[in-house]
Amino acid sequence: MMQFRLEKRREPSRFMLYATPVAAVALTMIIGAVIFSVIGYDGIGAVREIFLTPLTNSFKWQDLGVKAAPLIIIGVGLSIAYRANVWNIGAEGQYIMGGLAATWVALASHGAGGWWTLPAMMLAGMAGGAAYGAIPALLKTRLNVNEILTSLMLTYASVQLIYYLVRAPWKDPMGMGFPQTRRFASEALLPNIFPGTIVHAGVPIAIIVALIAWFIMSRSVFGYQMRVVGAAPHAARYGGFSENKTIWLAMLVSGGLAGLAGMLEVAGPFQRMVPGFPTNYGFTAIIVAFLGRLNPLGVIFAGIVMAITFVGGEVAQTTIGLSNSATGVFQAMMLFFLLAGDILVRYRLKRVVPQVEAGA
Amino acid sequence: MTLNRRNLLKIGGAAAALPLLGTKAFAQSEPLKVGFMYIGTINDNGWNYAHNQGRLYLEEQLGDAVETTYVENVPEGPDSERVLRELAQSGHKLIFATSFGYGDYVIKVAEQFPDVTFEHATGYMRSANVGTYNARFHEGRAVCGTIAGHMSQTGKAGYIGSFPIPEVVMGINSFVLAARKINPDFTITPVYISTWNDPAKEADAARAMIDQGIDIIAQHTDGPAALQVAEERGIVGGFGQGADMSAFAPQAQLTSIIDNWGPHYVKTAQAVIDGTWESKDSWPGLAEGEVQIGPYGPKVPEDVIAAAEAVKNGQIDGSFNIFTGPINDHTGAEKVAAGVTLTDAELLSMDWYVEGVIPPA
Repeated sequence: MMQFRLEKRREPSRFMLYATPVAAVALTMIIGAVIFSVIGYDGIGAVREIFLTPLTNSFKWQDLGVKAAPLIIIGVGLSIAYRANVWNIGAEGQYIMGGLAATWVALASHGAGGWWTLPAMMLAGMAGGAAYGAIPALLKTRLNVNEILTSLMLTYASVQLIYYLVRAPWKDPMGMGFPQTRRFASEALLPNIFPGTIVHAGVPIAIIVALIAWFIMSRSVFGYQMRVVGAAPHAARYGGFSENKTIWLAMLVSGGLAGLAGMLEVAGPFQRMVPGFPTNYGFTAIIVAFLGRLNPLGVIFAGIVMAITFVGGEVAQTTIGLSNSATGVFQAMMLFFLLAGDILVRYRLKRVVPQVEAGA
Repeated sequence: MTLNRRNLLKIGGAAAALPLLGTKAFAQSEPLKVGFMYIGTINDNGWNYAHNQGRLYLEEQLGDAVETTYVENVPEGPDSERVLRELAQSGHKLIFATSFGYGDYVIKVAEQFPDVTFEHATGYMRSANVGTYNARFHEGRAVCGTIAGHMSQTGKAGYIGSFPIPEVVMGINSFVLAARKINPDFTITPVYISTWNDPAKEADAARAMIDQGIDIIAQHTDGPAALQVAEERGIVGGFGQGADMSAFAPQAQLTSIIDNWGPHYVKTAQAVIDGTWESKDSWPGLAEGEVQIGPYGPKVPEDVIAAAEAVKNGQIDGSFNIFTGPINDHTGAEKVAAGVTLTDAELLSMDWYVEGVIPPA
């Protein structure tokens, strides 16, 4: 019987490192087309509608921007944390807390707002997300509790908090008993960048956030610290970088950015807090961060690719009647090929010659 | 004069050759593209399934005059706005948005597409090209409540709701009012799970309430999960919501409330084709056949069926209304005086529970 084992490559090829995400997308398109053809759908049509129509139809660009913006902002934050080997899985919860904090500002200043309302909401959103990210950081640094578990579980707590707030203290007085807050006053709503479209101020903010993060990560001591702690924890310790400090920074930055995304969503597309506010951006952004190679600039492209699959998935439903689950299949395939590709970039497959062990 | 079925019928009167001519004229004119947006999947065997049955009925009835599309699993948020725009941009001139939380987005997109007609199910906001429609499910709840009042051993029912919105509260109240006409000590415990469709949560809620001693379960969520638990645990039973769910709970389903959206979809599409559509709220019930009572389960005795049928028929001929006073609220204070019936407007903003409801914390 032939046996294989994985052997670590001494130096992963830089070219392959950046080629894998592209290859993953390409493979997803090819294999997806084959699979859907085999099970009796128009496979090539599905790939065309999901991956190309959102790009070729100019009506869809605004949707891509709006859908990609929160993914990019959260993805940038996560990529910084993951670089430092801090596994914040609870960006969804931090996104929700950011949205709730911003909602609080909007409701409290209702009727008394001004030019300062949006900046205040933005600060509140980041503070809310960062504060929620601080809980796993505290538990990790003080009690050594795994941040994957705590950050994930806190997400569910935050969802319940929305339900509580929109049903009782924040319920819309004009909403006929419906569980939602009132619509924000105009000072608390994000302006549209291009009149006649739905592109709100959050879209350029997402790009700016990614650019700043890229600059900081590649040019500053902070970025160097995050990268070194992640890549070589022992060396980092000798170099005087505190591991606890890194965890704190990673959680606060990724939480704060997720909170900012929450603020932009609630003040942009949602315009009020509703029970349907959690839309899994925080979880999808995990794929975005990895697809973007944990590089803020890569995250911009990865966010757009994910947005394409969402928007395209709906196009495929209306035009060729492809089920919504197909979108999920394509997204999952993309992550699968990416992770599989990663393994092969870092390791090589080596044939093991079976050895006869004496006395076995 | 444009060629369409209506005008041709006007000209032709009883001429025998007309159906042929009509078909031909239809083939030449553009079919009306009708879009449907669902919050869950069409295989949920409940709410979305029923809407999709309505869509198929529309295709069957109007044939080549319409072309339908649906998009499923659309969350109640900005995603729905995008889907609505996608449908409007791709030439759909009539769009049905079939969940409550789509409201804000329907109004928003409708402003951008004044030549597209939108209909929002269970909503309350209308505009020049947005109409709303709903069904009087609470009439069906009165029938279910009657059966529950007769059959429950413990006199306790559980009710799984999504959100405490008037439509849901109305159903709970109707159910317990009907049950208490049979058993004055009957109580109901609502549980809100904050989603329309999450089989795991629905089943968990059902189990927890059964453990607390309820023996009847009702739900205002989309699927048959609660009924399956009722079947498995062998309690007295429950009720199908939206569609006949007896396949999932052959013993436990006592009866079901069936949403029959098809006729409304046909009427609306025809009105759009004819150019006679106008924005209004449509709220038919048992009498119009938009709400139907499914077959009774094998456990339901003859006399209970007779009592249930009497409540059903009373609502159809107008002799019985579940919301006629005296009605007390859950604290026991009189809310509706004897002989007074709540108006539609009062029902549509109902935010209080009747006596017999144990309000959730």
